[in-house]
Amino acid sequence: MDSIRIVRINSHIYIDKIMSLVYFKNVSKSYNGSLILDNVTFTMETGEFVSLVGRSGVGKTTLLKMLIREELPTKGKIFFDDKEINKLKPNEIALLRRKIGVVFQDFKLLPDRTAFENVAFAMEVAGYPNEMIKKDVPEVLKLVNLQNKADNFPYQMSAGEKQRTVIARALIQRPELILADEPTGNLDPINSWDIIKLLVKINELGTAVMLATHDKEIVNTLGKRVISLENGKIIRDEQEGKYLI
Amino acid sequence: MIAILKRMFKTAWQGMKRNNWLTLACVAMMMLSLLIFSSTIIFNHLANSLVNTLKEKMDISLYFKTDVPEEDILKIRDELLANELIAKINYVSKEEALETFEERSKYNPTIQKALEVIGENPLAASLNIKAKNTTDYNQIIESIKNSAFQDKLITIDLTENQKIVSRVDTLARAIKIGSLAAIILLTFLSFVISFNTIRMAIYSLKEEIEIMKLVGGSNWFIRGPFLLEGILQGLFASLTTIIIFSLIILLLGARIENFIPGLGLSTYFWSHFWFILFLQTTFGIFLGIISSFWALNHYLKI
Ligand SMILES: Nc1ncnc2c1ncn2[C@@H]1O[C@H](COP(=O)(O)OP(=O)(O)OP(=O)(O)O)[C@@H](O)[C@H]1O
Ligand SMILES: [Mg+2]
Repeated sequence: MDSIRIVRINSHIYIDKIMSLVYFKNVSKSYNGSLILDNVTFTMETGEFVSLVGRSGVGKTTLLKMLIREELPTKGKIFFDDKEINKLKPNEIALLRRKIGVVFQDFKLLPDRTAFENVAFAMEVAGYPNEMIKKDVPEVLKLVNLQNKADNFPYQMSAGEKQRTVIARALIQRPELILADEPTGNLDPINSWDIIKLLVKINELGTAVMLATHDKEIVNTLGKRVISLENGKIIRDEQEGKYLI
Repeated sequence: MIAILKRMFKTAWQGMKRNNWLTLACVAMMMLSLLIFSSTIIFNHLANSLVNTLKEKMDISLYFKTDVPEEDILKIRDELLANELIAKINYVSKEEALETFEERSKYNPTIQKALEVIGENPLAASLNIKAKNTTDYNQIIESIKNSAFQDKLITIDLTENQKIVSRVDTLARAIKIGSLAAIILLTFLSFVISFNTIRMAIYSLKEEIEIMKLVGGSNWFIRGPFLLEGILQGLFASLTTIIIFSLIILLLGARIENFIPGLGLSTYFWSHFWFILFLQTTFGIFLGIISSFWALNHYLKI
């Protein structure tokens, strides 16, 4: 499957080959008849860092949810690693979600588990043996600089620390892609920058990152690829993009 | 693999503890259905064996006049054996009849004295006929009444078990239908309660489930604990039921035996203990699995 096709859409050149990491092909999504995303097409390559911007309600979260198959597109196809997401069987969906780590604004940590246990949870449900969990979790906690907070429960951590725990959990299965949906939404500027720097570091270590945000300053400082959504369409897609409204 | 199973057991156990009252109600309800379930199995067996014994005891006795010689009776027996409705004929000579009669009235001095007074054997020789089919007795009697040797007989005697048999049969059938209805009703109620316990378990683990899905927990890992919870409910119900059953048999078995002699309830129960336990456990687990499966399909989307 080496067939390569070059497509021009919105002044951006897409390589329509099968092996892009992510490929949205003419994807539309409506909720109860109202169109949220309208014929969206883009690709994302292995190891890329992409910011997804647009005003509130434009459909950023919806787009990310479709990638992990929490939502299905109303029209069009989504590919991850050459596989069409709509056609995955239940066990393949679980495998897909192990290849994509997710980070949310509201953390989604289990309150009755420590930082260590929350990270370990992702390995437990995937069926990893205990010895491996004991070895891997401290390494990842060290990567996000939380080695001293391993035994803290979520209520004993700052928002920034919670978010770093979530990132550690997203990383633990060595995903190919990290989806971060407004990871800094609940953080002050200093903590926000810590998180963004962490995401950049993770990206430099080889993991692709898709960051949905409306933080203009962050996007503009990053100097990475930016996809801008408006009225359900991609209105801009630039390699060293800015957040313009 | 073992690690996964351990984690599932832990989650299932926690789920049961968290909703302990509901779980208790659920196990109690299942217990009730299992109690009726096993009682029906046991009752069914006992009724069948009772009817069979009654049927086996049925026969026709032909009593011959005392002046009919033995060869004639044996000839008649051979003639009768040609009748295809007849399974077996037993010849009881006058002497044998006297022997059993004396044996039976050993402790009755009046009868013994009477026998002494008579001085000779007053009893008749007889042929005891067993039919192949219990329903054929009347037909056999008809053919004997129309036979050539009819005038050599004193009486034709039919041990009238037929009526009892059919009465027991009817009663057994009524009880079977009744308990079947009870099983269906109780099973349905157990299902509803079990379904709701699992639903509550799913609900109280909503956050966990959401995160499990998010981080790619396999379908079986997410569903496993709930199925396991259903299985454990069935298992607990079955174990408590068998304990209660054993207690009932131990405490009341003798009394029931007095009430209906020859029923063999205790004997049957203890000799079929594992069989009953197996059937009832299978049924309980089946019930638990079905309920949790149903709840999962309703409340746990991938
Ligand atoms: N489950 C749902 N049912 C119906 N409508 C929904 C559902 N989820 C999202 N929507 C609608 O879809 C639109 C896009 O929502 P989405 O959450 O994707 O926006 P967003 O770009 O992430 O916004 P924000 O920046 O505020 O997070 C919104 O108008 C929202 O009301
Ligand atoms: Mg959003």
